[in-house]
Amino acid sequence: MKTFFLSLTALIAALALASPIAATAADVTLLNVSYDPTRELYQDYNAAFAKYWKAKTGDNVTIKASHGGSGKQARAIIDGLDADVATLALAYDVDQLSEKGKLIPKDWQKRLPNNSAPYTSTIVFLVRKGNPKHIKDWDDVVKPGISVITPNPKTSGGARWNYLAAYAYALKKYGNDDAKAREFVGKLYKNVPVLDSGARGSTTTFVERGIGDVLLAWENEAFLAQKELGPDKVDIVVPSLSILAEPPVTIVDKVVDKHKTRAVATAYLEYLYSEEGQEIAAKNYYRPTLAAVAQKYEKNFPKINLITIDDVFGGWQKAQKTHFADGGTFDQIYTK
Amino acid sequence: MQFKKKQIHSTIALLLIGSGALGLSSQALANDSDELEKLRTLVQELDQKVRVLDRKNELAEEDAAAKKKETPVVKASKDGFGFESADGKNTIKFRALLQTDYRDYQQGANDIRERTDQRAGNIGADGFHDSADTFVLRRARPIIEGTLFGKYDYKFTSDFGNGAAVIQDAYVDARFDPAFKVRVGRFKPDLGLERLQGAGDIKFVERSYVTNNLLPNRDLGIALHGDVLNDKLSYSLGFYNGVADGSSTTGAAGFLGDKDIGARIFTTPFKGSDSVLAGLGFGIAGTYGDAQGERNLNFTDTSSADNTRQGLPSAYLTDGQQVFFRYGTGTVADGSRFRIAPQANYYYGPFGLIAEYTRVEQEVSLAGGGSPGAGGAATNSKIFAGTNKRLSHDAWEIAGSYLLTGEDASFKGVKPKRDFDLDKGGWGAWELVARYSEINLDSDTFKNSNGQYAVASSGTTANSAYADLSQSAKTASTWTTGLNWYLSQNVKFQLNYSQTSFDGGAIAGPSHTAGGAIINVNAAGSNIKDREDERAVLARVQFTY
Repeated sequence: MKTFFLSLTALIAALALASPIAATAADVTLLNVSYDPTRELYQDYNAAFAKYWKAKTGDNVTIKASHGGSGKQARAIIDGLDADVATLALAYDVDQLSEKGKLIPKDWQKRLPNNSAPYTSTIVFLVRKGNPKHIKDWDDVVKPGISVITPNPKTSGGARWNYLAAYAYALKKYGNDDAKAREFVGKLYKNVPVLDSGARGSTTTFVERGIGDVLLAWENEAFLAQKELGPDKVDIVVPSLSILAEPPVTIVDKVVDKHKTRAVATAYLEYLYSEEGQEIAAKNYYRPTLAAVAQKYEKNFPKINLITIDDVFGGWQKAQKTHFADGGTFDQIYTK
Repeated sequence: MQFKKKQIHSTIALLLIGSGALGLSSQALANDSDELEKLRTLVQELDQKVRVLDRKNELAEEDAAAKKKETPVVKASKDGFGFESADGKNTIKFRALLQTDYRDYQQGANDIRERTDQRAGNIGADGFHDSADTFVLRRARPIIEGTLFGKYDYKFTSDFGNGAAVIQDAYVDARFDPAFKVRVGRFKPDLGLERLQGAGDIKFVERSYVTNNLLPNRDLGIALHGDVLNDKLSYSLGFYNGVADGSSTTGAAGFLGDKDIGARIFTTPFKGSDSVLAGLGFGIAGTYGDAQGERNLNFTDTSSADNTRQGLPSAYLTDGQQVFFRYGTGTVADGSRFRIAPQANYYYGPFGLIAEYTRVEQEVSLAGGGSPGAGGAATNSKIFAGTNKRLSHDAWEIAGSYLLTGEDASFKGVKPKRDFDLDKGGWGAWELVARYSEINLDSDTFKNSNGQYAVASSGTTANSAYADLSQSAKTASTWTTGLNWYLSQNVKFQLNYSQTSFDGGAIAGPSHTAGGAIINVNAAGSNIKDREDERAVLARVQFTY
């Protein structure tokens, strides 16, 4: 019996010494939950960041991405999707991660420059080649018989920017007469035959399914569609007034602490503000915020009279409550 | 939906054809550009309407697919029946384990010497009764288990086997992180390797002496556990009520004294590699606690039924489930209890091996008072001075298995390559198993304070032994061989033959004097002989899902 015990102990000790268990080089995985049209941007950016991070730390970082309507994505994170970082279409959706999900602090927007928006964009029109319906501005979009493609503001961040840009135009046109602005936007949505849940879905509807005369689109999405389809298929029309869209980014604190990825996730977002990050944004048709890069790509972006959500609508919280909450203005004007 | 879609398409197609027909029938107007333009516009409008309808259908289908992902799922398979939320985070599963055994004894003594119960049959020359061949409902367990909120696993296992209804498991396991999990309730403490193997997955009809006799079965408490280093190292640290060897907590309050602390570390260092050692695991576990048992306090006041109150095991059993050792009723746990259990297993292709050792050291004393017998008046339980002793018992096993039909052996159950099916020609999985296991009890167990063999204390004298060598064996050694036939993942036949030899445990020569009085062990132990070998055939039919 003693012999057996001694043999077993010796075997265990020998195997323990031979054990290959040892600290391995860090392989980190991040999940970036983003809105619909950022697929191409983050595909390029993720590769660049992985290279940067490897050179800086020696660690391998793999970034997985999830894309969808911004509001839908925010709800998914709140419901348990383990996003290390959220790069959504608008601040209200990120606010929900704090208010409903308790996943990030209230002051999340102060943690990174430019209210945590490393790039901006705006809303433009994408029309069929030659602009056969002569759509030049918002007034043309609301004309009877014009088929307008835009996603559902209940689920899509881009759609909310579209809606607010149209609303802002109407307010300006009618001297801040809210009733008339509401009627104006109501006419616009009467012209919408299909409401997709996200901006990419609407692009599919307009471009691939050949539906509609005009797509209300993110500027970057419009440029991308034109690039992919060729300039002989679609034209971009810049309205006289549009809205400054500031898609924000944040780490999801509770998730990064659980995954122990805070450092790499923070670096991932900070690198968006670097010269390389800004170059990638500009090449993917997002307006860079870094002055030097913005100047370099100035010619690529048309000059538009841009209003801000704070100036016209009193910020996202107020705009959401007034227009997009259940029973809000959108529910009242959209009866289909 | 498809039908409706087809209807719409047919309608639109008819309209389009109609438009074309109009165009054909209006050949005369072919040169009328206004008319052509109107027709072109009409076709374009209709085309847009068709496209919109198609797109709406497409979106509706996408929406339906998304909603399907949110619909709870009902599951019914060979793994059990249950429900699951669409995201898989909330589940409930109903499972069961049924084991019906037949035990046939060629030899082997019943544990109760000089039993007066006439049903026990004839008394042998050594004063013991023959064992009775019997059917036994060994385990009949409905099991409810699942997960809540994606993180809280729960399990509830009741057992109606062996003629009693008990709760085996009732716990919640919070998986905060793979490396940080907390289990609370009644469960198997992470200690013995064979004990942690599911009752439906064990290779033999009965577990070895290490598991059945020395290590705890189920205990009540809280354990921190987890898997680290890419699941190659698991750890557990628990705080338990503490139970006697081979026993389970009743769910009631624990013994006086300190609670048990249990710890285990187990590693599979080559897991996931291509090495021949990929299936190797080894580790060590231990418990430390303090138990102060009580003399029978008139709870049930007869025989050994109340022995568990003493803080000691009610009995140690052979492979054939016969009692070969029992403490005297005046022996109580009285001080620290320490167990250590190195363990290892190895699986390579169809071959499996498990080896386990356990040593338990337990302070015991003799106690008097309490309830001396049926109907007797209770008195205060009192430890006899100078009777405290630390007893050290150990047990070990080494067991091998080989799947003749080529399936891979594992710690978990066997899934046949081909289920038994006469029509299709499948014969299930066949497995040969063999084990050697023994248990050695401390010699001091059978001696009194003078170092002499003596009868076991019945609680009336301070100069008794802790157990009686004429009734209890000091060592039991068992060879077990067997054949397992897995008809499917859910049905198994097991056939074991086990032969157990003993050291001590019976009186040499006649068991009684001419006057009919029982002959006890003498001070030198020279009138003790080894009990006859137990030769048992154990058969089992198991059904599980």
